[in-house]
Amino acid sequence: MFKTTPKLTKIFLGLVLGIFVSTSLNAQEIPTDESVIAAGESTFKVNCATCHKIWEKRIGPALNGVTERREVEWLISWIKNSQAMIAAGDPIALELWEEYNQTVMTAYPSFSDDDVLAVLAYIQAETAKGPPVEEVAVTTAGEGGGDAISSSYLMAVIIILVVVLALAVVALIIAARTLVKHLKDVKGLDEAEQEIVSQEFNVAAFLKSNNFVGLVIFVFTIIVLKTLIDGAFTIGVQQGYQPTQPIAFSHEIHAGQYEIDCQYCHTGVNKSKSANIPSPNICMNCHTQVKTESEEIAKIYAAIDYDPETQTYGTDTKPIEWVRIHNLPDLAYFNHSQHVKVAGLECETCHGPIKEMEVVYQYSSLTMGWCINCHRETDVNTKGNEYYDKLVKLHSEQSKEPMKVEDIGGLECAKCHY
Amino acid sequence: MKLKAFRYLGIITIGALVASCAAGVDDTGLEYAPQMYHSTPYEPLTQIQNEDAGSWLDSNEEDGHGEFYNSNPYNQFKMNMREPVANTVRRGQLLPVRLGKDDLEVAAATLANPFPAEDESVVKQGKVLYDSYCKHCHGEKGNGDGLVAEAYAGVANLNGAAYLEITEGHIFHVITYGKGLMGAHGSQVSPEDRWRIARYVKELQKKN
Repeated sequence: MFKTTPKLTKIFLGLVLGIFVSTSLNAQEIPTDESVIAAGESTFKVNCATCHKIWEKRIGPALNGVTERREVEWLISWIKNSQAMIAAGDPIALELWEEYNQTVMTAYPSFSDDDVLAVLAYIQAETAKGPPVEEVAVTTAGEGGGDAISSSYLMAVIIILVVVLALAVVALIIAARTLVKHLKDVKGLDEAEQEIVSQEFNVAAFLKSNNFVGLVIFVFTIIVLKTLIDGAFTIGVQQGYQPTQPIAFSHEIHAGQYEIDCQYCHTGVNKSKSANIPSPNICMNCHTQVKTESEEIAKIYAAIDYDPETQTYGTDTKPIEWVRIHNLPDLAYFNHSQHVKVAGLECETCHGPIKEMEVVYQYSSLTMGWCINCHRETDVNTKGNEYYDKLVKLHSEQSKEPMKVEDIGGLECAKCHY
Repeated sequence: MKLKAFRYLGIITIGALVASCAAGVDDTGLEYAPQMYHSTPYEPLTQIQNEDAGSWLDSNEEDGHGEFYNSNPYNQFKMNMREPVANTVRRGQLLPVRLGKDDLEVAAATLANPFPAEDESVVKQGKVLYDSYCKHCHGEKGNGDGLVAEAYAGVANLNGAAYLEITEGHIFHVITYGKGLMGAHGSQVSPEDRWRIARYVKELQKKN
């Protein structure tokens, strides 16, 4: 009554086969092949590691055991385009979206299923290894040892020298005493020799002697004069000025440890007369995330009326009043861009070891002599700057020395005083 | 003898006084010609709000404040510095792109680098700028492994699969307004410099 035509059978068989094949494809199993895991590791490190760690929550969740928490199909479509899943109203996707403050996970539509599976294989393999054993903190004291050793070595040498000298003095005194004792017993010395031998050292007479008083007065006058002259030269020179700033910003950490370029914050240094004190929005490029609990960072938050809890800005803002350190008197003109952009000077040339300064101080004297010295000694950076071509030509006709700043008017009064 | 002792004492005192003129922590030291250290015009990076400051030296009694006072009463917080007037463009500057933070897709599709592609100096300048503004997070080669990235999780690896196909317009827009965890760098980097960096980043990606 029910005839199965060969055609229908074929279709039916085809369907069954199709379903079978497709399910075997869909129920993707995470490979455990080592080469696949290695490929997954490199993909993970390049694309995922900035936001995800295996055992630690970073920007996104910790990924250990994620292959057990979620379906493989869900993970594949999430990694390829998480926003589409959120838009489609997937319940797990929505929950994650809210839990992580609506942080958008970068979409990877270019990944093939195999790419994603390789990453999952790597995660699974790492999960199986278990959490990393916490490494015992290794003290880095050894690093700074070089200087300490050499200076303590120097101290030891000095101490040994002093001890040897003291011993030599004691030995000489003993020798002299013995000699005198011996000479007292010797007969046949004439009167003059007798006098020398029996001579006693009189401390009081020595202190009152003209020679001694003269020497003391001389030394004293020299010291006083030296102090006076040195002191007079510090008038108007603010070298060493190290004011307490409203926020304890450390150049040592930012410029030294993290090697953030000076120009990242002091943006005016290549373009203008002054190098700029950065506005708080530059601080906030990092400090929305970094050290948000710190008291010092809280001062920035207070100034810009930022609430780290809700990550929102209010309107009750007020300026941060940094204390100016370097202050040239109005009689002299200085321009940062000319020195940094055109001459190509390093910041440290004038500002000293700024990368080691916990609190910044004025390193250079900023006196006229200091400026002039540098203008006498420094070769003009003429490379790749057409402006100087004719000047260099003229200069080389007259002199074999390289062109210094003073040769192009670097000592003219009106260059800086006008 | 007594007189002599006093004389010495006098010399010592003067010496000590002069020696204490040097600057130190929280102390600028003795200023020579203090009127030159405290500008009469509005100084951009200093501000002294105390009206009595420097009144011992006042040369202009009519202004009603001391010599060192330096604040602009007409500005908010009496600040000397001002922001540029809104909706103005400085001479010689590129006209602003009228796109907002959320217009990334439009920017990526429509904005084009004004520098010609064959101009090699742009890449060179871009490298200098990249090293100043980007390297500490994104790393020298763009792998997201800069030193700051250790403390600031989530720095994009510019050589990651998601970023290889981005356009220079996309990079320009992200530098201007920030994206995700990256802050807006429009106030720090001029539009021209942003285009230079964008060109350099594309070159960087080709090398990997």
